[in-house]
Amino acid sequence: MSEFDAIVVGGGPAGTSAAMRLAANKLNVLLVEKADPPGSKNVSGGVLWGNSLAGVMPDWEKTAPLERFVKSKGVGFLTKDSSIDINFRSSKFSETKTGYTVLRTKFDQFLNKKAKDSGATVVTGVTVDKLAFEGNKVIGVEQDGDVITSDSVILAEGANPRVAIDSGIRPPLKDQDVAIGVKEVIKLPEKTINDRFNLREKEGFAGEYVLGFLEGGVEAGGFLYTNKDSISLGAVISMKHLRENNKTYSFDIIEQFKNHPSIAPLLEDGKVDEYSAHMVQEGGLASIPKLYGNGYMIAGDAAGFSFSNGLILQGMNYAIASGIAAADTIVEAKAGSGISEQSLSKYEEKLMNSFVLKDMHTFKGIGDITWGSLVHQKMPNVLEKVMLGLLMEDGEPKKHMNQIVKEALKSSGLKSSKLLLEGYRMYRRM
Amino acid sequence: MALELVVLIKVVPDGKEVFVDPVNFTLNRSMATNVLNPADENALEAALKIKDEHDARITVMTMAPPFAEPFLLECMSRGADQAVLISDRAVAGSDTYPTSLTVAAAIKHLGKVDIVFAGEKTSDSSTGHVGPGVAEFLEAELSSYSRSCKYEDGFVIAERELEEGVEVVKIPTPAVVTVITDSNVPRRATLRRKLDAQKQGIIVWSLQEIGLPADWVGLRSSPTVVKKMLPFPAIERKSKVIEVDKIDEFVKELVETGIIKQGGN
Repeated sequence: MSEFDAIVVGGGPAGTSAAMRLAANKLNVLLVEKADPPGSKNVSGGVLWGNSLAGVMPDWEKTAPLERFVKSKGVGFLTKDSSIDINFRSSKFSETKTGYTVLRTKFDQFLNKKAKDSGATVVTGVTVDKLAFEGNKVIGVEQDGDVITSDSVILAEGANPRVAIDSGIRPPLKDQDVAIGVKEVIKLPEKTINDRFNLREKEGFAGEYVLGFLEGGVEAGGFLYTNKDSISLGAVISMKHLRENNKTYSFDIIEQFKNHPSIAPLLEDGKVDEYSAHMVQEGGLASIPKLYGNGYMIAGDAAGFSFSNGLILQGMNYAIASGIAAADTIVEAKAGSGISEQSLSKYEEKLMNSFVLKDMHTFKGIGDITWGSLVHQKMPNVLEKVMLGLLMEDGEPKKHMNQIVKEALKSSGLKSSKLLLEGYRMYRRM
Repeated sequence: MALELVVLIKVVPDGKEVFVDPVNFTLNRSMATNVLNPADENALEAALKIKDEHDARITVMTMAPPFAEPFLLECMSRGADQAVLISDRAVAGSDTYPTSLTVAAAIKHLGKVDIVFAGEKTSDSSTGHVGPGVAEFLEAELSSYSRSCKYEDGFVIAERELEEGVEVVKIPTPAVVTVITDSNVPRRATLRRKLDAQKQGIIVWSLQEIGLPADWVGLRSSPTVVKKMLPFPAIERKSKVIEVDKIDEFVKELVETGIIKQGGN
């Protein structure tokens, strides 16, 4: 007889959602989170997109500590001197149809408290070492030589899945599957943020940028999200490029982003309140490990469930949906034939039928597009030249747009046939 | 018979987050999160080291409002056997005198005790009174400012770190040992013990349970009065980076700023 019906490793959105769902079904569940307080080791940007949380907390929008809802979404290319932005704002972005910016230390503490309130045993400040096996069956978790027994385990340990790797159920991460995220939280008065971003109370801005000006051709994306009275800003840097350019430092890249002429005015007089760095899952479908086995399942970032197509960067909604699916699989297995590899295979089926794996399949190979010199260098520079050609008034006779584009392409060394081909690929994959 | 060890702890505001209000000269703790007093972590570890060697039972004790509970559970998760919270509205405002009295009464209420451990001082008030005060009320021997200690046949042998050197003392039990900050490496809690601690819970005692009259404690029975707080004058710090090979410039800078004086003829 095991001590628990289920042990959930990791108290982020995936783990807490799973624990809430399991506890709501009267199962005896233990949630273990290494950080104390929960969320304090998290680096997520972060915007919580969509309504997944309603699955465990129908009133989450009223009760959860949310910062602002995304009213205005930006995508931009930054070159050394310029920025070419698309800023989409819409009154069709109502509160439930978009995303909320969250500060994860507050948000995760709330989620862990909710898990506890719903009946889960919650333990924080301790790190699980690995899964405990009997043959190929998982019988619990190991920590400091002790085995805590459980009929099933959900690994929701986040972007650095040590337990899964050390237990031999997933391969170590490869450079191409991860990026390094660095983030700062910069304090500014609420009103200053509203004025600078053209927002009303509760309305927020979420922007993603291609940092097309980094030395040595390092590829990195920037993000900037408004909280109530702070800005979360950071960079996601290709691990491969960091390794290849050993003079490149993540803290230097975030400084270059902050000092960019179109970003710096937004941050003026702000005070850095937090800084942090963590891995980001970027591998897409190809990096997703085997999701279940005899007695265990992997959910959230630990399973590689994060999504980025250049326009949006998402993880928490995938985490929550996969956590709930894992919990439901256990509930059904317990009510039916019991926990086995066979009964837990339903987890993958559930994910295949939801946006979690559907999106992963739809956008497989997107990484080839979002990472690469076309997007990170050539496009920003061509766009800058085109915009300058169109808009700068230097007293010279004006040129037709096609001439401007041709010259811009020529100076970037990009052939128009190649641009068409790449553009088409991008169009297809996005 | 098992050795009975007691560890006194206090929950304090994190020192890094406490600052002096520049206008009223009062301590502003509103921004601070609570932590276990640093020296108390070492006191608990000193007791656990004794338990590693001997048959012993450790009781962690604090006098505080109920918010101290998670910290007592944390001590149990590191290896203490039980935890007592002395919680009573009447003790509010107590200075170190009635606090020592109350804690000593609670220790007596616990029954036989061999060694009481406490941090050398708390990081929020730094008096270092309560450990010695408890020794006085228990009529026990005291080894203050101890960096290590062991137990041998009814005696505590402790190394005291003093300004002039290290003093090794051998005192009979019951004894009180106050432990200096960073004198050992506190062990970490384990998942198993955290689960056990949550299940076991803590013991809560009121003044009535330890048999102490309410008018012996609290603000009115506290002789200490804090009349005024004064801040240290702020020291303005400057920094300038001079490259390694520009030693002349470096010397010139030191002379010009008055850090060194030009000597000789």
